Amino acid sequence: MNYNVSDATDFSHTSIPQLSQLDTLVRCHICKDLLKIPVLTPCSHTFCSLCIREYLTREPKCPLCLSELRESNLRSEFLVNEIIESYRSVRDELLESLKEDQRNNAEKSLIELTDDDNDDDLQIVGTNQKEEVKRDKNEKSVGKVTKPSTSTGLNSLLNSQRDKSKTKEKLAQCPICSNFYPIQALERTHLDECLTMQSLDESTDVKKRTPTPPSPRIKSPKSSSKPKRAVNAKDDISHVDKYLSSFNTGQRRERLPKINFTSMSLSQIKQKLASLSLPTHGSRQNMIARYNHYEVLWNSNFCDAIEPVDESELRRQLASWEASHNPSNGNNGTNIISKMMRRANQGNSYQKLLADFKTDNFQRKSWILMFRKDFKNLIQEAKRSIPRESKTTGSVDNQIAVPENTEKE
Amino acid sequence: MSLKRITKELNDLGRDPPTSCSAGPVGDDVYHWQASIMGPPDSPYAGGVFFLSIHFPTDYPFKPPKIAFTTKIYHPNINANGNICLDILKDQWSPALTISKVLLSICSLLTDANPDDPLVPEIAHIYKTDRAKYEAQAREWTKKYAV
Repeated sequence: MNYNVSDATDFSHTSIPQLSQLDTLVRCHICKDLLKIPVLTPCSHTFCSLCIREYLTREPKCPLCLSELRESNLRSEFLVNEIIESYRSVRDELLESLKEDQRNNAEKSLIELTDDDNDDDLQIVGTNQKEEVKRDKNEKSVGKVTKPSTSTGLNSLLNSQRDKSKTKEKLAQCPICSNFYPIQALERTHLDECLTMQSLDESTDVKKRTPTPPSPRIKSPKSSSKPKRAVNAKDDISHVDKYLSSFNTGQRRERLPKINFTSMSLSQIKQKLASLSLPTHGSRQNMIARYNHYEVLWNSNFCDAIEPVDESELRRQLASWEASHNPSNGNNGTNIISKMMRRANQGNSYQKLLADFKTDNFQRKSWILMFRKDFKNLIQEAKRSIPRESKTTGSVDNQIAVPENTEKE
Repeated sequence: MSLKRITKELNDLGRDPPTSCSAGPVGDDVYHWQASIMGPPDSPYAGGVFFLSIHFPTDYPFKPPKIAFTTKIYHPNINANGNICLDILKDQWSPALTISKVLLSICSLLTDANPDDPLVPEIAHIYKTDRAKYEAQAREWTKKYAV
């Protein structure tokens, strides 16, 4: 049941419980998740673009203060967006590390723990030290001898950049990620890492924006700390860059208008959908709902998003939404699932997968693996019945539609 | 979206349960919950345990959850079918609300009925004109159905 559900109280049992306030503040009051593409209302409340737009199609008011609100009054908040995205990218690690801290604190006394490396961290917070470090960086200077920090503590996580600058004596700027690294490390390992990271990033760039799940991170902080830190450093930079370059994106598109369907004929509606390359099957009601949701997706993407995705991606999201909202589809799906569940009885991992079933996070591969046997049987059954009667194949085909689709993807 | 949000609320309820309420899904269906409310001590419902059924619409939280008492209760805003007359379950619903908050609202509705917007006019009338009679009746029903 508990899949990917993070909560502000995650921090209450760490060494810095006050962070749960921050975590609460960066959440949308509609989906209760970390804000995605935040937009600001005239009443100064912030919601996910998709959440609030979806809500405004039903009620023209702010969910928090109930004051009147129109879609056209929403303004995107690029800075908040990048703040949250960079927070999101370190949240798991931060949490893990702070939990670790807490465990350590329970064992040792606080003073013992801070005597060495955390002293540095504390100094870094002080303004004088901070400026010194900053100057160091700017002049690409040499000579500030500080002890290498071990990878625990809030500062080391939030300010990985600063950490880099104080890790060792001679620092040089990486030409790729423009971070500062000790020269030796830069030459030996970082350049390679950074280059691979870069190419990886480019190749996965399109996928990155799609709401695929962050692969479950249950790595131990020790084993993962080094390469991950490098990724984070990269992320920090790109969030700043993204924010600074966000105002001249050429990808903005006209917003889709609201349509009053009551006066339209069925063929007119179909025409309208077809002009947007949307499917035209289903009842009148279905088609209207389809357009309305597409309008929300479109306007959120092309009016609010800092990095709009392609129209085809929007259509994919629409299809995923429709699959989870069409009652007949949904029931079919869950029926098969619950049957399989009884047979497979694979407990938690099954529950975890099922929870994602109707969302974009659904992990098709693991699902296929888990139910490989069942799918095989279903496919065989279906094949057996093909020559005999078309009626039965119809129903069986419907059943295996789920696995077949997933295999293709 | 609805599934994720409901799951989250379930986790939150487990982590930080609201006073004198509890709620959770019935069987495998995450969209169908059952809840229980302890009768508030400063009300004629004290000592009773009241069960409610909760149905989440597929477009939750954009639409309010459907909540009804499954335990009989004598209350001006709750009718014989268990339907509750509560503004936040109807036109005053906001997606920022949660089940936990709604249950707390229902708790306070038990302590302070709203006879000016009644669902059962007869009970509302008694509530307004003969408070003692209303309380006696409510206590009796609580004893009969909710203990």
